[in-house]
Order: sequence, then C-alpha cells, then structure tokens
Amino acid sequence: MSETKAKIKVDNLVKNYGDNAVLKGINLEVKNNEVVVIIGPSGSGKSTLLRTLNKLEEPTGGSIVVDGYDIAKPDTDINKVRENIGMVFQHFNLFNNLTVGENITLAPLELKKEAPKQATEHAHSLLQMVGLESKFDARVQSLSGGQQQRVAIARALAMKPDVMLFDEPTSALDPEMVGDVLAVMKDLAKQGMTMVVVTHEMGFAKEVADRVIFVDDGQILEEGTPDELFGHPKHPRLQDFLNKILNV
Amino acid sequence: MKRRLFAVFSFVAVLFALGLGLGYSSASAKTQQTYTIGTDVTFPPFEFANDQNKYVGIDMDLMRAIAKDQGFKVNIKPLGFNAAVQATQSGQIDGVIAGMSITKERAATFDFSNPYFTSGVVMAVAKNSKITDLNALKGKRVAVKTGTSGADYANSIKNKYGFKVVTFDDSNNMYEDVTTGNSVACFEDSPVMRYAIQQGSKLKIVTKPAESGSYGFAVKKGQNKALLTAFNRGLANLKKNGQYDKITERYLGKDSTAKPADDRSFLGLLKQNKGALWDGFVETLWLTVVSIFFATLFGVIVGLMGVVPSKFINGASTTLIYIFRGLPLLVLALFIYTGIPSLTGQKIPAFVAGVITLMFNEGAYIAAFVKGGINAVDHGQMEAARSLGLPFGKSMRKVILPQGIKIMVPSFINQFIITLKDTSILSIIGLLELTQTGKIIIARNLEGFKVWTIVAVIYLVVITLLTWLSNWVQRRTKI
Ligand SMILES: Nc1ncnc2c1ncn2[C@@H]1O[C@H](COP(=O)(O)OP(=O)(O)OP(=O)(O)O)[C@@H](O)[C@H]1O
Ligand SMILES: [Mg+2]
Repeated sequence: MSETKAKIKVDNLVKNYGDNAVLKGINLEVKNNEVVVIIGPSGSGKSTLLRTLNKLEEPTGGSIVVDGYDIAKPDTDINKVRENIGMVFQHFNLFNNLTVGENITLAPLELKKEAPKQATEHAHSLLQMVGLESKFDARVQSLSGGQQQRVAIARALAMKPDVMLFDEPTSALDPEMVGDVLAVMKDLAKQGMTMVVVTHEMGFAKEVADRVIFVDDGQILEEGTPDELFGHPKHPRLQDFLNKILNV
Repeated sequence: MKRRLFAVFSFVAVLFALGLGLGYSSASAKTQQTYTIGTDVTFPPFEFANDQNKYVGIDMDLMRAIAKDQGFKVNIKPLGFNAAVQATQSGQIDGVIAGMSITKERAATFDFSNPYFTSGVVMAVAKNSKITDLNALKGKRVAVKTGTSGADYANSIKNKYGFKVVTFDDSNNMYEDVTTGNSVACFEDSPVMRYAIQQGSKLKIVTKPAESGSYGFAVKKGQNKALLTAFNRGLANLKKNGQYDKITERYLGKDSTAKPADDRSFLGLLKQNKGALWDGFVETLWLTVVSIFFATLFGVIVGLMGVVPSKFINGASTTLIYIFRGLPLLVLALFIYTGIPSLTGQKIPAFVAGVITLMFNEGAYIAAFVKGGINAVDHGQMEAARSLGLPFGKSMRKVILPQGIKIMVPSFINQFIITLKDTSILSIIGLLELTQTGKIIIARNLEGFKVWTIVAVIYLVVITLLTWLSNWVQRRTKI
C-alpha cells in the first residue's frame, strides 16, 4: 500500500443513540504511517468516533473504509478487518482469566493458527518491547495499571495490525505511570505505525502527532498540525477548550 | 449455537422415541398380550405393597388370577388412584383396577367390567370417641380420601348433618387426622376400614355399610374391548371354581395373612423395608443425575440465548425462563405426563416425563443465573476480545464463560440440591422414587411418623454427600 493512500477514510459518519445525535457528519482521512490525535471536551463523541472505526459501535449512516473494506456494509467480515486494527482501552480490559502471556497469545493462536512456540516467542519479544519481559507468567491482577496498559498494547500488537486505536490510554493511570505508556506509544509511532489516539496528553500530541483533530458536539471543528492547533487556534470553542485544560 | 440447540432437541426426541419404543414393543407382537394396568398405591386390602415390595391385595390377586386364567400378561403400575384413572383416560395405560366404584359419571368416560366386589361406606371414629351416629357430627370436621365413594357419601350428607369435610390424598393421612383428633370421623369403604383397624389403626367402625356400591375394572370408553371381555370371562371362572372366595378370604377372613409386622421400631422398619427404600433411593439418585444433566444442558443453552447479540433470540430466552420458572413444578409434571398424551395420543413413560419436567423447571432457573453470571462479567472483556477479531462464540468460550462460570458455581450447587429435593414432587406421576416409596410403605404399615423420619434422614444424607461432591469438584477445578 502506498504511503499516501488513505488507511482509513470516513465519509459523513452519523451516529445516533435513539434521539441523541452523537456524531453529526464526520469526514476524516488517516494516511498510512500517520499519527492522528483527537481532542475535545467530555461527551463530544471522541470515543464513539474511535469505536465506530472497528465497529464496536454500529454507525447510523455514512461510510467507513479501512484498508479498502467498507465496514459499514453488513456483508463485510468484520472479524477479519478487526484483526488488522489494534485497540487499546482506557481501562485496559486485559482478560482476567488468563495470564499475561496467554492474554497476548490468545488471538494469534485462535485466529492466525500460529504454532504455540512461535506465538510464545513473539509474545516474549513484545513484552520486551514494552519493558515487561519478566511478566510472561504473571497473573493480570498482580500488575499495576501502567503495566496492564503496556500488556494491553502488546496484546493488540500480537496480531500485527497496521492500525492502532487508543482511547484515552493514560487517563485511568496514576501520574507516575503515564510516562512508561506514552514512551511505548512514541516508540510505535517512530516505527511507522498508523495511529489514531484520543488523549488529553497535549505534550504527547505536540511531540508525536502529524495531525490534531478537535471534536466538539459530534463535529470536527478544526484540524491541522499540532503547531497550527495549539499555537494558533482559530475556533473560539477550541481556544476555550485549550484554555481550560492548560490552566488546570 | 443453532446446531447445538438442535442437538439437544434431537436428544430429547430420541429419549421420547426410546421410551415409546419400549412401551410399544412390550405390548405388541407377542403371542401373550401384555396389558399395563394402573392401580392405587394406598388402598389395602385391595392393593398394597407387601414387605417384599410386591403388589398384593384383592385387586392384585384377582387381576393376576384372571390373567392366568385367560392367558394374558399384566404389568401392574401403582400410580395412585387419580393418576391411574387419568392415565387410563389419556390412553397411557390400558386399564385401572383400584377399588373403583361403578358410577354413572364414570361410566360416561369408562367401560366397566361386571362388578367384582360389593362394598359399602362405613364411618369410623377414634377408639375412645363417644360418637356413634351421624347426628353427632354437627359442626364437626370429617376426613375423607379424595375420589373415594366414602368422600362422595360424606359430601352428599354433609349439609343434612351439618359437618365439614376435609380431603386427603392418601388413607394414612386421613386416619391420622382422626386419631389425632383434628377430625372426629372418617368415611371409607368397609373392607378398607376393616383392614386398617386390623393393622393397628386406633379406630373403630360405628355404622352399618351404607350406599353399597360395586367395584369394577375399567378401561377407556370404547377401547380395549378384548381385555374387558377376558376380565369378565375370567371373573366368572374364578367365581365358579372357588378361587374368588379364596382370594377375598385371604384379606378379609378371620385368619388374614396380612398380620401387622412385629417390629415397629425405627431399626425394625428400616430392616423390613430396606429393599424398597434402597430401590427408591436409587431411583431418586438416578432421576436427579439424569435431570441435572439435561437441566444443565437446557439451562446453559437458554442462558446463552439470553446473551447472544440477537434481540429475537434474547426474547425467546426470556420467554422460556418466564414460562418454566412461573409454572408450579407439580402442574408442569401433570401437564407433561397426562396433558400432553391426551393432546397428542403419544404415551410418555413416567421417568421420561419426570426428567422433562425437571429439565424445563430447574433448567429455567439455571438459565436465569447463567445469563446473570455472564452479564456480571465486565463488558470491557467482550469488547477487548471482539476488537482483536475473535468471533462472538470464541470470545464467549475463551474469555467470558470462564469468568462467568466462576460466578455461577455456587448457584449451580444450590440448584443441584434443589433438583434432588424436587424429585420428590414427581411421586405425583407414580415414579417409585424415595417419597413414593415412603407413601407405599406407610400405606401398608400406617407408621407415618417413623417412616417419614427415615425418608427425611435419607434425603439429608444424600444432600450432604452431594454438597461434599460439589465442593470437591469446585476445589479440584480451582475455579
Ligand atoms: N451506549 C450509549 N448509549 C447512549 N448514549 C451514549 C452511549 N455511549 C455514549 N453515549 C452518549 O454519546 C455522547 C458521546 O459519548 P462519548 O463517550 O463518545 O464521549 P467522549 O467524547 O468520549 O467523552 P469522554 O471524554 O468523557 O470520554 C455522550 O453524550 C454519551 O452520553
Ligand atoms: Mg471517551
């Protein structure tokens, strides 16, 4: 796939919960190797947008094309598409009935029919990458939040996805753990992973994002490079939002 | 999912078919025809289990002698009076002989044989009672047994004499109600009453036989003509050759062979009835195990139907749970055993009917907590599994169920114990499990308190064992 071709292309995406319009016509393109950060106030629809990208939420209207598959179409094999899209959640959601190693190898063993030995080796190298090589046999409950989130990233990476979605991956963590997780994400970005990240970590956005998108009330109000958005915000709502989070 | 659901239903269907097949093969294509005859469990001296747990009594001995005389075979089923009558009506069995009075009402739905015994209703009171006639019953309470001519008689005169009638399901409870003083008198056919007194009931007969009526053997109206004819021919033969007198004499004559058992202590009762109790115990266990198996299967499937991503299947699950949890077990058992055959014309063996009853009832409870257990697993677990590309079924199996089951285990153990206890309710359809065995033993020896104590202790022992087993399994699987 060429560098410039869109990895994700969203057209006029609409999502309603009953009468409540949460996404009101979103247009978005994410190119290969691009890191896009989504910011916006609470309740603006950031999570909903991210979750429609792998169809954890059913879109009400519009089209979402990932890797050339229109996932809004009912006959698309969503499970196949999801294998290519890693997702990291705010609350990690590691499988509580499995060890760290089993969390990482479950999907490759079940879906890619990898040999156990190969899957285990891969899991070890992923754990090494996130700095937890000693935790392969550990129980999930014995890990700190920051460790769990890094395992969750390793678990998503085990399927060798070419897109990673992050929904506020650090906002449930104690402050001293945030750095470790962000470091792993920066590493990933450097390796050329295509990433869509919902976060309030402006430092991370400034350093890593190719593009920042400001979502408010179910719409994209402004988008551009970090310099443009943080240095010269145009929309009054964005100015207001930045004021609030920078003056906490 | 669908395929598995189908598998269960085919399993049940096979179970049906097996039961039916057995029923048919035993009744067909032999040189000697075998008839299934229903009878009461608690109507001495006409039918009762002796201490070898064999059914004896005037009805039983007559039936067997007639069968021998006429060259057919009988398979006696002590179902209880009402169940036997209903089973005959619905075609489950071929006929009923249970000290059944020939009445006009009954003749509308049954064809009766020639009368084989003439009886009459007498009134009995406690040994120390001062009551000697019907006039003394004013404002008092009187005990009868449901469906007997004693009950009909009492109801027909209760307004005239101003007494209240309470109805019992078996004779022993009726007698006890009089000896304990709750009721002042009871009405029963004279041979029955005489036998009970001979067995040690602290009662005395104070009236002459009234409303004398005749007992007949009954088949469903318009059915089993050959059987009815054979019965009448056989009866005539027995009367001619003196065998009939010998049989009635055996149970009503002075030197009755049915003497009270000697040792009425707990240990004595246990010893005399150990065979019957053991059989009842085995039947209860077997019923429990088979029912738990099918109830778990049914419950897990219906529970899973409640969590799959389909509104329609969810609705089906909720409805099944609602219906089968809502129906009283007793009603469900009678509906399946007697209701369905009269709708479809297909017989259901009592054991199969019992298992199906428990499968639906206990299964509905299992379904409810399976659903609850799965819903109690954090929603994020499913989302994480699905976002990796794992299909719904795999996510369920590998991630959700292992966590859900952990939540469900205590409920499962609890439900197994409830299932064991609920098997006792199936005594209503004549299954010879522990409770029914208790009833039968008491019908013979009238030692209600002691026998129920023994039965209760056996239940407690089994429940304790079941609890230990469950805990052991729980520890072994470390979940
Ligand atoms: N399952 C749901 N049913 C009904 N309404 C929902 C559901 N999920 C989200 N919403 C509503 O949609 C709107 C957007 O929610 P969303 O979670 O996308 O916001 P967000 O931008 O991620 O907020 P936050 O920063 O608090 O996570 C909110 O008003 C929320 O109440
Ligand atoms: Mg959110």
